Formats: sequence, structure tokens, C-alpha cells
Amino acid sequence: MIPYVNFILTAAIALNLYIVSSSRLRSCVQAAALQGSVLAFLPILLWGTQASKLEIINLLLIGIGTLGVKALLIPFLMFRSIQEANVRREVEPFISLHLSLSAAAVLVIISFWISKVTGLPHPPSAYLVPAAFSGILIGFLIMVSRQKAITQVIGYLIFENGIFIFGQILFQKIPLAVELGVLLDLLVGILVMGIAIYHISREFDHIDVSRLDGLKG
Amino acid sequence: MNHSSLLIWIFLLFPAAAAVGCLILRKASWIFRFIMVGAAVDAGLGFILIQSLFQKGALRAAGSWLRVDTLSAYYILIMILVFLMASIYAARYFNEEIQKGSLSDKTAARFGSLWFGTLSVMTLVLLSNNLGLMWVGIEATTLATTFLISLHPSPLSLEAAWKYVLICSVGIALAFLGTLFVGAADSSSLIWTKLASHASILNPQLMKMAFIFLLIGYGTKVGLAPLHTWLPDAHSQAPAPVSAVFSGFMVNEAMYCIMRYLPIVNGAVGNSHFSRDLLLFFGIFSMAVAAVFILFQHDIKRLLAYSTVEHLGITAIGLGLGGLGVFAALFHTLNHSICKTTGFLSAGKLGQKYGTHDLRKMPGTLQKEQVWGLGLFLSLIILVGSAPFAVFMSELLIIKAAVDHHHFLLLTFFLTALGIVFIGVLSHAVSAVWGEPPGDHVLPEPNHLGDMLLVGAPLLLLLILGIWMPHPLRELLEKSTFILTGKQ
Repeated sequence: MIPYVNFILTAAIALNLYIVSSSRLRSCVQAAALQGSVLAFLPILLWGTQASKLEIINLLLIGIGTLGVKALLIPFLMFRSIQEANVRREVEPFISLHLSLSAAAVLVIISFWISKVTGLPHPPSAYLVPAAFSGILIGFLIMVSRQKAITQVIGYLIFENGIFIFGQILFQKIPLAVELGVLLDLLVGILVMGIAIYHISREFDHIDVSRLDGLKG
Repeated sequence: MNHSSLLIWIFLLFPAAAAVGCLILRKASWIFRFIMVGAAVDAGLGFILIQSLFQKGALRAAGSWLRVDTLSAYYILIMILVFLMASIYAARYFNEEIQKGSLSDKTAARFGSLWFGTLSVMTLVLLSNNLGLMWVGIEATTLATTFLISLHPSPLSLEAAWKYVLICSVGIALAFLGTLFVGAADSSSLIWTKLASHASILNPQLMKMAFIFLLIGYGTKVGLAPLHTWLPDAHSQAPAPVSAVFSGFMVNEAMYCIMRYLPIVNGAVGNSHFSRDLLLFFGIFSMAVAAVFILFQHDIKRLLAYSTVEHLGITAIGLGLGGLGVFAALFHTLNHSICKTTGFLSAGKLGQKYGTHDLRKMPGTLQKEQVWGLGLFLSLIILVGSAPFAVFMSELLIIKAAVDHHHFLLLTFFLTALGIVFIGVLSHAVSAVWGEPPGDHVLPEPNHLGDMLLVGAPLLLLLILGIWMPHPLRELLEKSTFILTGKQ
């Protein structure tokens, strides 16, 4: 199963780079949804072969939950936000897309370095920790380098996906209830952010976070 | 199901049921009455829970997932006090808005359900013995309170709510990464009692990494500088009862999460220098940042918010000093919560009367609004550490701990920051208290007995605690210190 796992993790890293370099909001959301749906297969592929029957059910539930939340519900909420906020201009980065892509490439290299120095005991795949940290770091990059509130949410999703990958190292230690609680929190979080974006767009006529600067001192 | 686990379940589920109740009630005035009664019932349940802890020792429910020990009981005590004060006040505060017609029944229902929703997830954090579940609770707290900040959507409140939800979500996600590192360091599970009992065999390197992520993650929610940027915005834009709960309890609860990890990290690393040095650094940095911003702050709610950053910094320093410092930090948490809640409630009412929160535009508060003006002035005086009130006593204990450990450089910074805050707060407060109220000779409104109690009782409590500590409280504090440090 490890070759499939490696494929999924490589795809996750590639999708991160795609999202950083894409200039269209809709394709960013689609790519994030695709990333969520391939990652949903990660738990069962990683642990399925050595799990007991009960654990298989747990793994399947986590996979289905992740698929439902990250590939269906969240993209739906995001598309609705884009529509309601009536976003005309697209991604609007503070720094150019070329520069962000180069920065993201450097971050991927850094994540490989991080995986070497953390010294985690026996990760099942050598790509697991680098894929996790590249998601976390590139998610941060997107959050700080984009002007639109909605792109910040995409950055947050990438970031969350990175943490999700990292969590796979410890499948046996995180109980199902906690995994599902985390998913629920993510879903409600995106919902809350979506509603906030809707209010912001109504109140301000834009969702440009660089112009949300009324509060100082 | 035995008696004590039933009690834990009731205490956890009652606020959730009350949240649903607020959606069923249709009229704003009923909802606020219901909030008052609900908070009182919740406080009663909390006291019963604490009392049965005193009789039986740690209580459990749901296997080992839910557990109440002395430390959680102490925080439950703070929580029910802050919520009770803020809930009683909410009725008085929003009554004005209902009469002006600026608060619809629908908004009131939303407030009520989010209010009790917040209480229920905060309760979950304190009751959970599983560190993953604790994380779920803290994240849910952020989500439940976002729309309490922007209860009345306005450009500024939405900006504050957006900053809050994004910064805190990212911060808390980092805390989850830290939680995962704790899982990686251990071979069993995320059950706190198990981790604490065999902390010494955990992988020290991974626990160090974990603690850094946890401190930064939960520290964002605490508002430790330089992660505090959301805090003054959210506090200044939220309605006063919400600001009171934020400062009085929510930030302390995030600090509670950091505390839970202290015995585990210290046990794994083999000494407590690693965690203590980090806490001291963040503590002193928070005090310094807060002191500078307080000096130039004219908005009363932002001033109180920066004072929260300062006091949480003081708490972090107490924890970082260890031993007596931990005892003092816990005591300081209670004192700060009670005092800051009173401060925010008074500031909110004054803000309603003057139509602004700018201290330069609200002169003569003592004449215009005797009760709330006095409440604000006294709570500011207590917050800067005036003797013989309780905040002064807990700060004195922290100074004693610093002297005992020969942290003289730290002590210099600590006292300098306290001095700057003292000057800053008093110079703003004095100009607002003395001075002519605007308009010609408006007769002060007759004092409401409920208002007097709401301001008087907490301040009297702070005075009593400054002079004499009741035995049960001392026992709670000493046992909690024992949980955190392993010695008395």
C-alpha cells in the first residue's frame, strides 16, 4: 500500500504548489477539494493492512467523514461564499504569483529538512512528514500573502490538510470521537468564516482584508 | 451510572439544553430573564460538583474521558462566578437596547443560544481528561464566540470578528499539532491521567517540540504577546458582557490548557527549566507590550483589554517561577477574573450612557453614574495592584517567589512594567473620574439596588480575599499547585 500512499502524498504537495500559483479563485477551491478527497483515502491505505476489524470500521468512518466534509461540504460552502460575496477580481496577491511559487518551492525543501531533524519514531512513509509540513507552511504563506478574505480561508484549509496528514502518524492514539470532533470543528469553522465573509461583503462592498484596518493601537 | 458521573453529565449538558431553550423562547425580555436563571442554576450545579469533589476526591465519568480534579474544580469556580455576574448584567445591559429598539427578538435569541453554547463548550474543556477532546472544546469556544463579537454587525465589529476567528483558528490548529506531538511521544493515548503518571518515560525531544507548539497555539488564545493582536480588537468591539467573559474566563481557560501540559513536559524533560524559561519569556514580553500600549490608550475597553494581556503575562511569570509562583499565579487568575469582569461591566454601562468609550470624552463619571463610575474607578485601582486588595496580594506573592529564586533581573522588568501600567491607568482614570460631566446639571439617575450589588459584591470579595483567605479556597489552591508542580 505504501506506493499508493506515496502517490497521494506527492499529489498533495503538487496541489499545494498549484494552489499557490493559480490566479483563479474557483480553481483554488477545486484543487483544495481534490486535495481533501485524495487525503481521505490516506488513513485506510496507511493502516488498513494491519488493523483489526473494529479499527477498519474506524478507519472507514474517518475516511468517509473526511471525504464528506473536505470534498463536498466545504467546497460547497466556499463556492456559495464566492457567489454571495460577488467576487469580481480574482486572487489578488500582495506578492506576485511567481514569487509565491518560488517561496512555496523553498518551503517544500524546508519541510523535507524538518522531517529529517524532528526524529519522529518510524513514520510509515518517508513523505508523510514533508507533505504535512509543506501543507502547514504553504497554508501560512497563502494566508499572509493574499488580500481576499476567501483566499485566507483556502490557506487555512491547506494548513488543516497538512495537520491532518501529520495526524496519520498516530492513528491508533487518536480516538474516533476526537477525529470526528476535529472534523466537525473544521466544518463549523469554515461555516462561521463563510458567514463572516458574507457580512463583510455586505457591510464593506468588498472582502479585501488589507482594507480592514479600522482598529488600531 | 453512579451519583458523581451523573452530576458531571448534568453539569456538561445543562448549558447545551439551555442554548436550545433560548431558541424556543421568542421574546427578548424573556430570553434575558431565562439567561439569568440559567446561569444561576449552572452556578448551583457547579457548587454541588465542587462540594462532592471535596467529599470524594477526583470524580470521573465516561470511562476516563471526563474527570474533575482540584485544578478543574478551581477553574469551574472561576467560570461560574464570571458567567453568573455577566449573565445578570446582560439583562440590565441589553434592556437599554431593547427599549431603544436596536435589539430584535431574533438577535436576542442568537445571543442567548451562543451564550449558553459558549458555556457548554467551556465546560467541556474543563471536564475533559482526554487532551484531544480538550482541544476540540477550545476550538469550539472560538467558533461559538465569533458572532458574539459581531452581535450587531458593523464594519469595526466584523473586522474584529474576522481577525479573531482567523488568528485563533490558526493558533489553535498549531496547538493540535502540539497535541499530535504529545501523542507521538507516548505509546498509549492522549489520556491526561495516564500521561501524567508515566511522564518520565516519554520521549523528551518530542515533548519539547510539542510544548513549543502548544505554548504558541494555546498562547494565541491566551493573548500572550506577540500573539495578542486579536485581543484588544475583539474585546473592544464585543458587547460588554461578552468582553467580560473573554477577559474574565476565556483567556484563562486557554492558560489552563497550557498548565495541564506542564507536569507532563517537566516529567519527560526531567527538569522544569525548559518550560519555565519559555513561560517567563512570554510573560515578561506580554507585560512589556501591554505596559507600552496602556500608556497611550484612551479607549477604556482597549485599555482593559491590554490590562488583560498584562495580567495573563503576570500569570505566566508566576507559572514560570514554579513552587510558590504557581500558587500565586492560580490565586492571581481568580482575582484578575473577578476584577476585570467588574471593570468591563462598568465600562460597558458607562459607554452606553456617554455613547463613546473614549476616556477623554467621558468626564465626571462619578457624578453622572455613581455606581458604575465608582465600579470602574475602583476596579482600575485594584487592577494596578493597590493594597490591600487581592490582586496586590497575589502580585506580592509572585514578587516573593522571584526573590526566593534570585530572579532579580526579571524582578526589575516586572516592577518597571507594573510601574508604567500604574502611571498609565491612573492618569487616564483620574481625568475621567474628576471633571465636569457634559450637559448642564443632569440629575444623576436613582441607583438601582441590583447594580449596587453587582458592583459591590465582587469588589467586597476582592477586599476580603486580600486580607483573609478562606480555608476551602486555600485547600483548592494548594492541591492545584500540587497537581502542577508535584510538591506543596
